[in-house]
Amino acid sequence: MRRYFFVFFVIFFLTSTKITFAQSSYVLPYPSAMPGSISYKSHILSEELQKYWYFGNFGQFYYNLKQSDKYLVEAKTLFEYKQYLLGYNALLKSNEYFIKINPFLIKAKIEGKDISEKSKILDMASQKHVEILVQIEKNTPIEFVWTPEKSSATKLLLRKSIDDSISVRQKNI
Amino acid sequence: MKKLLIYGYCCLLFFFSFFSYLFIDPGLLYLRNFYTGFFSENRLVVIILYTLFICLFFLTYYLFIKLVRSEKLPLKQIFLLIVANVSILLFSYPAILSFDIFNYIATAKVAFFYHENPYIVMPYEFIGDPLLLFMHAANKVALYAPFWTLLSAIPHLLGFNNFLITLFNLKFFISLFYVAGAFLVWKISKNIYSVVLFALNPLIVIETLVSSHNDIVMMFFALCAFFFAFKKKFILALLFLFFSIFIKYATIVLLPIFIYMLIKYKSGEKIDQQNIFLIAAFLMFIVFLFSFLREEIYPWYAIWFLTFISFLPKKKNLVVLSAALSFGLLLRYVPFMFLGTYFGLTPLIKVCVTVIPVFIVLAWSLISKYAKKYN
Repeated sequence: MRRYFFVFFVIFFLTSTKITFAQSSYVLPYPSAMPGSISYKSHILSEELQKYWYFGNFGQFYYNLKQSDKYLVEAKTLFEYKQYLLGYNALLKSNEYFIKINPFLIKAKIEGKDISEKSKILDMASQKHVEILVQIEKNTPIEFVWTPEKSSATKLLLRKSIDDSISVRQKNI
Repeated sequence: MKKLLIYGYCCLLFFFSFFSYLFIDPGLLYLRNFYTGFFSENRLVVIILYTLFICLFFLTYYLFIKLVRSEKLPLKQIFLLIVANVSILLFSYPAILSFDIFNYIATAKVAFFYHENPYIVMPYEFIGDPLLLFMHAANKVALYAPFWTLLSAIPHLLGFNNFLITLFNLKFFISLFYVAGAFLVWKISKNIYSVVLFALNPLIVIETLVSSHNDIVMMFFALCAFFFAFKKKFILALLFLFFSIFIKYATIVLLPIFIYMLIKYKSGEKIDQQNIFLIAAFLMFIVFLFSFLREEIYPWYAIWFLTFISFLPKKKNLVVLSAALSFGLLLRYVPFMFLGTYFGLTPLIKVCVTVIPVFIVLAWSLISKYAKKYN
């Protein structure tokens, strides 16, 4: 009896097949951990480690684009919750990463790599970013004074910051 | 008679190497002069020839086992057969049954030529690379663990960016692990029957020396781990086990066995090698069965448990069943060779040809058991 069970078991696995379908297009990621949450520090650490894992010029292209996307989504979410200081910082970080993307593509081109597909991705990403930034701009005040409990107030030029972010991206379209 | 068998086997290896060149991909510009188109135009002839080759390989395997059991095949001659396997099949065309060798080359090229991370950047991103003309998994990141990628730097760097040199370097590199694996089987078991079960099993021979799958590398490091564990050098054993795991991950299931052996060793109890290898074979067989979850059960995955079954020559039923399964697994290629598609009837026929030899062996053993009982 055990033998038959074993044979049945083997046949079951030998006859099982898996068919997978894949679909892909340029989309922004879901919002990940937000500043203040417990897992946020681990995200920062992982971001630092990933910088070395994504070696190579194409690797750095993907890394910087991924981080720029992530911080843009983070900024959008924080602005929606009126967390302007945190949103402002996230937007600056997104810009910081975005600015680094193109130089890596140029380096790859110098190495003789074909960058046409990557340039298209960057173009699509830039368009998507601008679209999001325009949305954010509509619901954000021109400036905001952030007054923490035990320190001096900070004046945030939100509209200017968003406009700067848009112009950074428009250079790649 | 024995000499005739050995010479016949060498001829079989030679003709199989020759036969492999019928499968050259038309996109493989480096071997364009050898491309005949025979495979795509004469599918029926090709599957008849292939099946005949497989039958002859298993016939010679059976005869070698018979010779070993009657103590007529000394270790020296087994060694010569291993050398013949390596030296003749080294020149066979590797992509007759699988295109994995091109993936290994592409991964190494992404990492060590383009200096990109092959776990992030796919080969197809290097537009214009000649590898894209014939490799079949250009849209996948590296499928293997990092230690394999690191090892593949050796044949890549010694290939000096010449595809054909790199290809045959890689074949030779993998062959070295086959020879070293056979040596370790001998060192651990001190049994020439085990060496024959391992080194002359047609599935191991074809999948390792023709198709050059890295599974043999993973199993070599696993054998090293067992070798050191039996010598009670557990730090070295674990180190080699980790090397093995970081080739293709599958041997991670062996970790509990090493923990068990360490506990036994600490408590001063004796380790039963036969039991250990039986459990190892069973665990690797389970992983083999579950491999359909990732993609499908590929014939070369059988190397995982066949390696350990070779240490169990006394388990006659297991040896016969594993040989039948090896035979069935090598026949899995026939439906695609004939129909030229992975869809339609192909999956069903693949299953049938795999399980039928196992069924026949089971039925035969049951009939002979009952015949004995009633006699």
